[in-house]
Amino acid sequence: MSERKVLVIGLDCAPPELLFTGFVDGLPNLKKLLQHGIHARMKSSHPPITIPAWMVMSTSKSMGKLELYGFRHRKPGTYNEILLANSYSVKEKTVWDILGEHGKKVIVIGVPPAYPPRPVNGYLISGFMTPSTEKDYTYPKELKKEIENLVGEYVPDIVFRTEEKDKMLKQLHETTEKRFKVIEYLMENKPWDFLMFVEIGVDRVHHAFWKFFDKQHHLYQPGNKYENVVKEYYRLVDNHIGKLLKLADKNTTVIVVSDHGAKRMKGAFCVNEWLIKKGYLKLKKKPEKTVSLEKAEVNWGKTKAWGWGGYHARIFLNVKGREPQGTIHPKDYKKFRKQLIKDLEAIRGPNGEKWDTQVYTPEEIYPDGKGNYPDLTVYFDNLNWRSAGTIGYNSPYLSENDKGPDDAVHSHYGVFILYDSSKEQGKKIEDINLLDVAPTILEVMRIPVPPDMEGKIVKEAA
Amino acid sequence: MKEKQKKFTTVSIPTALFKKVEERIKGTGFTSVSGYVTYVLREIVAEEEKTEEPFTQEDEERVKTRLRALGYID
Repeated sequence: MSERKVLVIGLDCAPPELLFTGFVDGLPNLKKLLQHGIHARMKSSHPPITIPAWMVMSTSKSMGKLELYGFRHRKPGTYNEILLANSYSVKEKTVWDILGEHGKKVIVIGVPPAYPPRPVNGYLISGFMTPSTEKDYTYPKELKKEIENLVGEYVPDIVFRTEEKDKMLKQLHETTEKRFKVIEYLMENKPWDFLMFVEIGVDRVHHAFWKFFDKQHHLYQPGNKYENVVKEYYRLVDNHIGKLLKLADKNTTVIVVSDHGAKRMKGAFCVNEWLIKKGYLKLKKKPEKTVSLEKAEVNWGKTKAWGWGGYHARIFLNVKGREPQGTIHPKDYKKFRKQLIKDLEAIRGPNGEKWDTQVYTPEEIYPDGKGNYPDLTVYFDNLNWRSAGTIGYNSPYLSENDKGPDDAVHSHYGVFILYDSSKEQGKKIEDINLLDVAPTILEVMRIPVPPDMEGKIVKEAA
Repeated sequence: MKEKQKKFTTVSIPTALFKKVEERIKGTGFTSVSGYVTYVLREIVAEEEKTEEPFTQEDEERVKTRLRALGYID
């Protein structure tokens, strides 16, 4: 029997609502995989964001074990200093590390955090946290030249928070075209047993264009010129996937995954503005215009809690002995936190409507957690409202994002599709978890699953 | 005549070690001792080249600016 190869197609942010139902009829190649393979909704990490979600998937280790809680971590003992996640932040072995140890040739493209490029038994291209294309962003280094000979400048990502939609859309298509050209080239010209890539453009198109197609979005305008942009982008990706499927031989199992889902954004909730109103955060001086907390004059000696923005909120408590000007005595920590959780859960929407806000303590979501996690993780109205960290508003509710246009938020379920051309399955299976992907890949490739992997093998794939 | 760049060269290792490696890679995806030795050496070299500070200060500012523009740092 020939040895199985695996091709993993990562579509950052692709939600089951669009991929399995909404857009699927216009996507012949993904539809084929759905109709003949198995598919499931895939539960993302807490919180459902790109970093750490892709690494939870690639290592089958929870965030607490990975000590990876987001793109940035707070530098211990500081209020505003941050540490950025990078490829070396990941101490656990990825599935491609394990495959490499077994002599399998791997190609890995843009699986975040991927900068600096780490060595693999094959080829690796870094992703969107590459500081500039002047840097070495490939392993081995020589691959960079090969890529640039093929497509010119290889820009891993675009900036989507802009009003210059047409320009951004052009860049998005160009970036995606180049990425697939590189993938096709590597598939045809390099030896590989395992190839995984992440197309980050799917996330970007959601955030930039969601309000233009989703009739339920509060900013949707019928007949707008960008109505079909998201659907057309999915078609572009599907068309390229079709080309990859032709390049993959019959011994290749194809897996399509996303790190989290997406849904329309209802608005942004200014977490620090709310903390000020509740008396938990004190300023020396009210800002005259909107500013980030790091630029505001905070009276830390009287502050009990402060927050960070993002698709979810991270809240930190100002604890004596832990923070430079701590105000909460460690013996009062749990009591204070309990009250704050109660207050956060009681927040209602701008019209007094009830919200489904979830607040998590580190003990609940990172039971084996170490490193720099926040004291509370908050999903305002089940992530429908993103968290804005800036202050200087009359109301904590913003109908648009505080820092440039953004129409979508993240949701808890991404997608999983597995297609093996030798099997006729065509069925939806029970929900799986990001943690289940790596052991399933190893099982398909007949490599022993390390006992410390936290996920389960998807039995229908075996 | 344009000289073609030589992509591989030969190194010597003790025969006993070669045989041990040959045994070790049986049943794995490594098809030659050279392939395995190259893999192991690359790992070691890359580990040595790795720095504790993967971003220079300038790089870090660039990446932070990007992350702000992407909504990951708000």
